[in-house]
Amino acid sequence: MQNTEVEVNKPEINAPKKKKRASSLDRIKARSGWFFIAPFVIGFIVIYLPIVFESIHFSFTEVKVLTGGGFNAEWVGFKNYQEALFDNPNFVMTLTLGIRQLIFDIPAIVIFALFMAILLNQKMTGRAVFRAIFFIPVILATGIIDRIDQGNEMLSYLSDTSRSIATGTSDNAATTDTSVTSIVSVFDFEWLFMSMKGVSIDLVIYIVNAVNNIYNIINRSGVQMLIFLGGLQSISPTIYESAFMEGASAWETFWKITFPMISPMIFVNAIYTVIDSFTAKSNTVMRLIEFTYDEPGGQVLSSAMAWMYFIIVILMIAVVGLIVSSFVFYQRREN
Amino acid sequence: MNATDQTSTKVKKESKNKIRVDFERTSLLKRLRIKYLSVFFFQKVIWVLFRLVLLVGVSYVVLLPFFAKITGSVMSPEDFIDNTVKMVPRAPTLGTYTAIIVENDYYKALTSTAILSLLCAVSQMFICTLVGYGFSKFKFKFNSLIFGLVIFTLIVPHQTLQFSMFMKFRYFDFLKIYEIIRKFMGVTVAKDLKINLINSYWPLALLSVTGLAFKNGLYILVMRQFFKGFPDEMEEAAYVDGAGVFKTYFTIILPNAIPMMVTIFLFAFTWQWTDEFYVNLFTTDTGPYLLPRIVKIPRTLVQSTAAIQASTIYQSAIRNTCGLMIIAPLLVVYLIGQNFLIQGIERTGVTG
Repeated sequence: MQNTEVEVNKPEINAPKKKKRASSLDRIKARSGWFFIAPFVIGFIVIYLPIVFESIHFSFTEVKVLTGGGFNAEWVGFKNYQEALFDNPNFVMTLTLGIRQLIFDIPAIVIFALFMAILLNQKMTGRAVFRAIFFIPVILATGIIDRIDQGNEMLSYLSDTSRSIATGTSDNAATTDTSVTSIVSVFDFEWLFMSMKGVSIDLVIYIVNAVNNIYNIINRSGVQMLIFLGGLQSISPTIYESAFMEGASAWETFWKITFPMISPMIFVNAIYTVIDSFTAKSNTVMRLIEFTYDEPGGQVLSSAMAWMYFIIVILMIAVVGLIVSSFVFYQRREN
Repeated sequence: MNATDQTSTKVKKESKNKIRVDFERTSLLKRLRIKYLSVFFFQKVIWVLFRLVLLVGVSYVVLLPFFAKITGSVMSPEDFIDNTVKMVPRAPTLGTYTAIIVENDYYKALTSTAILSLLCAVSQMFICTLVGYGFSKFKFKFNSLIFGLVIFTLIVPHQTLQFSMFMKFRYFDFLKIYEIIRKFMGVTVAKDLKINLINSYWPLALLSVTGLAFKNGLYILVMRQFFKGFPDEMEEAAYVDGAGVFKTYFTIILPNAIPMMVTIFLFAFTWQWTDEFYVNLFTTDTGPYLLPRIVKIPRTLVQSTAAIQASTIYQSAIRNTCGLMIIAPLLVVYLIGQNFLIQGIERTGVTG
């Protein structure tokens, strides 16, 4: 801390006093630091920590609300967890599907966000307008709107122009898909990639899923895009200039300069995407948990499910963090 | 490109500030040909077109639901039976809007949600600024450990905690005071001394004041990053001039942090506005009438559509209209404040 030095420089008469005074100023500063974070610390200890512990506790109990006010929690051990894992028909299936979806979504969102950020980073007219449009979902498609958009029959009805008049309303019930109807099919892509050797069918299916899921991906990559934009703008233009002078192509420039410089942001965005998508309302597992919560007596069961899901996601964050941090490049470490 | 021209230059007139050079100008046609008939120009045009198509396409995907909702909101029930009507209504009507405003008490919900959102957003803004400043500029014991707890509150989804959170505020007992009173006074003090905070603004206000509400961990993180980039010299100058820590905070730090605080305010405001998780958790039908409660089918419209085959789509359209009316005020807020929102994130670069 440099400000202690400033204070110290003034009295140069007796040396031992100097040290005492500096340390007391440090102590005062430390104490006022506690004051600044006091609201959070008090709230955490008084409200949040009891809530977390009670939630863990409740997941091991059966709760009965008493008529005279108050409630009674009876310890039942791992019964709720057993019920969730073995008796509930949907939980395990939804969980595996949800985690698979998450694994599919992370690279798609991060790559899409990076791509769009690079596009938006170039000089062109109407840049601010596009940026504002891409950010709309972050602000407006949350909470209650997200809830309304789940199983939105009107949207799929209005935007689906392919349906012939003859079939009529009979297939309305079938289109419960939330987003726009599928844009491309696997067969289109297979046909496109047929002549190319070495493109596996898994990759084709992945791309097809990503393209058909584009609405979802765009909606969820607004913040990531801005984080990437901020990162791109902090890269010094002189690096690009010298690379251009040396005759590097755009492709080489991307992989040798942009990618390493942006890799800390990739780390942040991967973690952010995991957190954001597993706390989102559109997440199927979260929906199942909320659905269970609304059922009679399902509150404790939903707590048990939620804690299991939370542990799995923490593990996933750790795995994603390890994978991504293996290629993160920090500029500071070099100098 | 004009390299050949330089050989033929000659100085025509030279003054103190200007040199006028006479040279043979390349003909316009030649210059145009060099400029526009090259491979580079062609590549550039292709790239610009490609970029434009891509950006417009993505914008279309983002905006399409909103356009569909707007057209759906003015379509009459007859338009939903008619299969040839898709995006353009044939018999436009404003009946849905008036029914929602009159029967679902739109304005009442609007004012109560506005009060709640303002309350939460203002307190979250000040608290997160305070806490973020504390984390960034003071070195005390356990600083990084407590900051880890902030991240913990950000990661744990609130759905995990919803039951115990409900119980906490249903039988609210600050610091177990009532428990202690009951122990000392005997059984005479009844159990229901615990306060029921459900159906009031208190749960959300308490969460906001302690920086525990929706995404507050993120705001604290953003504020911390912002203050880390804030030069120490300003505070040092204030300390040397004899200002205390708090005087420095209020006179030097806060005025400089206003753009960032506006960003946080806007985020907190909009996310609180569209929130339905906490509203459903902390209020019931008898509680404060907030905006998520207006998402229901007005009675007059139910009767008029009872016989219609396409009524599910029509009901979905009504729900979408409710959603549109909920976010309509936010759209104005966004148009005014979008620069703060976007640049706020860009500027800090949430790099942990």
